[in-house]
Amino acid sequence: MKIALLSNVNMNPVIRLLGEEAEVYQGEGYGNELGALLNPASSYHAFDPEITFLVMDLMELLGHELDASEAGKRVEAWFSDFEGGLGTDCIYYVSDAWLWGPELSVVQDPMRRRILEGAWLQRLRYCMGNHANVRVFPYAELIGRLGEERAFSLKMWYMGRILLSREAQKLLHESIMEYVLRESETPRKVLLLDLDNTLWGGLAGENDHEPVKLSEEHTGLAYKNLQRVILQMQRQGVLLGIVSKNNEADAERILASHPHMTLSPECFAARRINWKPKHENIRELARELNLGLDSFVFFDDNPAERSLVRETLPQVAVPEFPDKPEDLAPAMAEIYRRYFAKPVLTEEDLGKTAQYAAIAKRREFKREAGSFEEYLQGLQITLERVEPGEHLDRLTQLVNKTNQFNLTALRYTRSELKRMLEEETYRFYLYRSGDRFGDNGIVAALILSLERGTPRVEEFVMSCRVMGRWIERAVLDEVERDMKAAGYERLRGIYLPTGRNMPVEGLYKELGYAVAEELPDGGIAYELEIAKAPERVYYVERG
Amino acid sequence: MKEKIIALVEELLKVPGGTVSEDTRIEDVEQWDSLAHVLIIGELEERLGISIPLEEAIELTGMRELLEKAGAV
Repeated sequence: MKIALLSNVNMNPVIRLLGEEAEVYQGEGYGNELGALLNPASSYHAFDPEITFLVMDLMELLGHELDASEAGKRVEAWFSDFEGGLGTDCIYYVSDAWLWGPELSVVQDPMRRRILEGAWLQRLRYCMGNHANVRVFPYAELIGRLGEERAFSLKMWYMGRILLSREAQKLLHESIMEYVLRESETPRKVLLLDLDNTLWGGLAGENDHEPVKLSEEHTGLAYKNLQRVILQMQRQGVLLGIVSKNNEADAERILASHPHMTLSPECFAARRINWKPKHENIRELARELNLGLDSFVFFDDNPAERSLVRETLPQVAVPEFPDKPEDLAPAMAEIYRRYFAKPVLTEEDLGKTAQYAAIAKRREFKREAGSFEEYLQGLQITLERVEPGEHLDRLTQLVNKTNQFNLTALRYTRSELKRMLEEETYRFYLYRSGDRFGDNGIVAALILSLERGTPRVEEFVMSCRVMGRWIERAVLDEVERDMKAAGYERLRGIYLPTGRNMPVEGLYKELGYAVAEELPDGGIAYELEIAKAPERVYYVERG
Repeated sequence: MKEKIIALVEELLKVPGGTVSEDTRIEDVEQWDSLAHVLIIGELEERLGISIPLEEAIELTGMRELLEKAGAV
């Protein structure tokens, strides 16, 4: 199963964890989730994941805009781009919202946060209504489980735009893996229930002496709540069956007339209340319902019965039974999530998906030709060349700590760079970039070597925050123009594979360079005849 | 504590035990990139309760300094 995790904050730590267990998209930084979806030529589409998780930080997405109507516009803008980039053969999990930011604690209106989160949820719900392959990923529950104090880390946020604490990252990783595993299994259809000490407390056959526990209080309420969970499952399409060792008349009396029975006799599609071994009853039920044994889940308080069924009918799922009545309802909810709530597309869903696919196809021309570009235009990307000598620390950091968009991964120390700045043989191109959400800082650097004939791009790095925005096109255009003006006819670019710079493997080729020489260790030297450089499309305002 | 910190760093960098010592400098370890660095600072705090202030954390250049800031030497 190929999966992708896209986000507007740095999720690389989680992607790293996921990579240990799954085939996961190695991303082009973060904050480019819409670009990745909208650009048919993106490495995301080349990877072609089966499930895509979009775990979005609402505060970043809103650009810290806490005014409800303005926030509503941003949410709408995000979703309309998102919907424009949706494919039909991938499943998308979009996070629900947990709005968090330092200023939130001084917002006077106590309902503001819920209202903003609500705007996101409402739009997500609408989107899910139109796209059967879009589902909600319960991110808020995960944060809630840890609490904000433990879930978020301002220090890691400041250091690397990593929002979640290590603990929360690990939890998110587990949660995503759980969803991935579920997607690869078929859901079960039937829940088989025992009666005594399962649907109610105590024994039906003895209720002349001691009534069964099923009521509005104490242990009785625990059983009643279990039934409420089961009833909801039944309403959502889970078939119920009874497999119980009992006198049928005693059991039926309770089923039909106990005042606190939430499940009515009609809720059960089939029942076997007798003294026969349970595995035989289950086999019969499977025949009666015309279902495979792998459609069944068996819920029984008696460990001997559970182990009998496990041994004789290994296809039947037999979850553990909770020790305490107060754990019954949550345990059943977990059984639902684990065995029944699998978001496999139904025929109906598929019909709906096909319908939307048709609509999408009509829009396809627009999408391929335009909507990614429209999106880039809408970002209002700015690019300003800055003086490398004034930003030596940042330059050193970019050169040495960038892994993904790094064509050669040649490392230079601060003092080496300082010396190179003074040499005639090197040219430095250092850029600051921003967009309509603000300044992204100094994010791209290119070092050109002029020794020996053809100028050579020694180093070309870009921060993952701005990858996928075609900024590299603007940068190379500028370098080529300069070299042409300086009288050079050709420009050479080097790619040296490092194991982590796959995202830029095809960069030179894509930009019109031809292979000039194969280097040791898989490296490739490319060259461009500058006069024949292709016209490149990008949307960058020069500062 | 020193051994614990070194073990944690090695674990996060995914390098064999014994790779990292007091004398290790960040720039000498290929795996010690900016992401790994943030994770190290994060885990030190969450797992070992060692909080290195933001500005010092950013400027760390090697293990010796890290151990000093952590109060482990």
